[in-house]
Amino acid sequence: MALQTTVDHVEARVPVTVVGLNGELDASTYEHLIEDVRGLYAGGTRKLVLDLSGLTYMASSGLIALHSIVQVMHGEEPPDIEGGWSAFHALGNAVESGGQEDVLLAGEQPGVTRVLQRTGLDQLFSSYPDRASAIAAA
Amino acid sequence: MTDRSPSSPLDPDRLDRVLAPFAADGAGLSVSVEDLDGATIAGPPLSRTTARDARADGRVTRDIGSHGATVALLVASGPASRDPAVAAALDALAIGLGELADASTRIPPSELALGRLHQRSIVSLRAPDVPGYDLASHYEAAREIGGDFFELFRLRRRRRTIGVVIADVTGKGIAAGLMMAFARPVIHAALDAAPGPAVALERTNRILVEELHTRLFITALVGSLDAGTGRLRVANAGHEPPLLVPGNGRPIVNVTCGGLLLGAFTSLGLAEIEVELEPGDLLLLYTDGVTDAADETGERFGEPRLYATLDATRGRSAHEVVAGIRDAVAAFRGAVEPTDDVTIVAVGRHRR
Repeated sequence: MALQTTVDHVEARVPVTVVGLNGELDASTYEHLIEDVRGLYAGGTRKLVLDLSGLTYMASSGLIALHSIVQVMHGEEPPDIEGGWSAFHALGNAVESGGQEDVLLAGEQPGVTRVLQRTGLDQLFSSYPDRASAIAAA
Repeated sequence: MTDRSPSSPLDPDRLDRVLAPFAADGAGLSVSVEDLDGATIAGPPLSRTTARDARADGRVTRDIGSHGATVALLVASGPASRDPAVAAALDALAIGLGELADASTRIPPSELALGRLHQRSIVSLRAPDVPGYDLASHYEAAREIGGDFFELFRLRRRRRTIGVVIADVTGKGIAAGLMMAFARPVIHAALDAAPGPAVALERTNRILVEELHTRLFITALVGSLDAGTGRLRVANAGHEPPLLVPGNGRPIVNVTCGGLLLGAFTSLGLAEIEVELEPGDLLLLYTDGVTDAADETGERFGEPRLYATLDATRGRSAHEVVAGIRDAVAAFRGAVEPTDDVTIVAVGRHRR
């Protein structure tokens, strides 16, 4: 299944980049998403809102994508998961428990919320009902 | 895996499955376990050399140690065996096998037969025979190396208690395969040694996070079933909850007991819950390869179809229930290639 992304730059209290995800985030698409965010970070984005209102499905690979996106926005380089060996034993620390505010989520659909809650990765993110409220909080 | 003909515990085909993830085409790496005389116990047979020769002929070896003595060798060869990250992964695998050896025996290392170790603790693809219960499973690998694994085994020193494990390493490829190979004996040993499933998962997580610094995650559901009473204690690290199909015709129960997945947080703080398997009840464990199976239109198999299949197979044996789900998923998927591993495990308690 395809994943389409849209990118909007918004001037709020701080400059915010909103990435809208439409479609399905799974093993065939999650690397593209990480790559997109890497490009945005290189282009100066420091506050990211992921608009998930059009995301109809997220597989467990999506968890890696979200985790990696947080790392990218922290200025860290996540390992290349598909690269194999390096991902197994990458140097560095695991995700710290507790939130971060570089990446906010907006408009999660119930199926996505379920995966995040089931695995505890919802703890990493502040979530907002829609794009506008996420931007206002950014 | 549903067809399990009786075979010797040292059947090489079965042992090879442990190391199958390392034999991926194009990986440039081959991993075997050899005994101290250089005979291949598991994995592709390499050359007939002794341990000393193995070090000399360019292969990379790791001692598998237990109680301070080497009990076997992990041997890697191929172009990728010199990759520094492979070295780290081999360290991890050797440590995992060594911990397992420590935990699974109090026998002096000189008497430790690695074959028995494999039989007892690593492979366990054949479910134990437990009077009063049906244990059944199905595992189907996606084309790419996936990360599902499961295990059903009698706990050491608590032989009446059955360990139940199902897990899914996120991601795919060789890293996921390695992680699976590492995590499986670690979880097994932890459940053998710990007072209960929650502590076992906590210990496993600590090893993953503090010692391996892994960037892969694992969802794992771990239970211990007292076969005498039917009491099952369960802890869940981010995995799909188990489903209880009551034998008395009541609705299927989603045994909600969620918690943090393994490998991402320094501490899990998992709750442990207890479920009683009454005579006639069946407990189903599965990975998301079942519910996420997609048909040609992209529609997912989903929980409603899973529940419907379970309702349609009520009263059947665990083997029939597992086969029913397997067939329903296959029929739903049609010609679409599976993109994720599919694992189904059922524990049924006989009616009195």
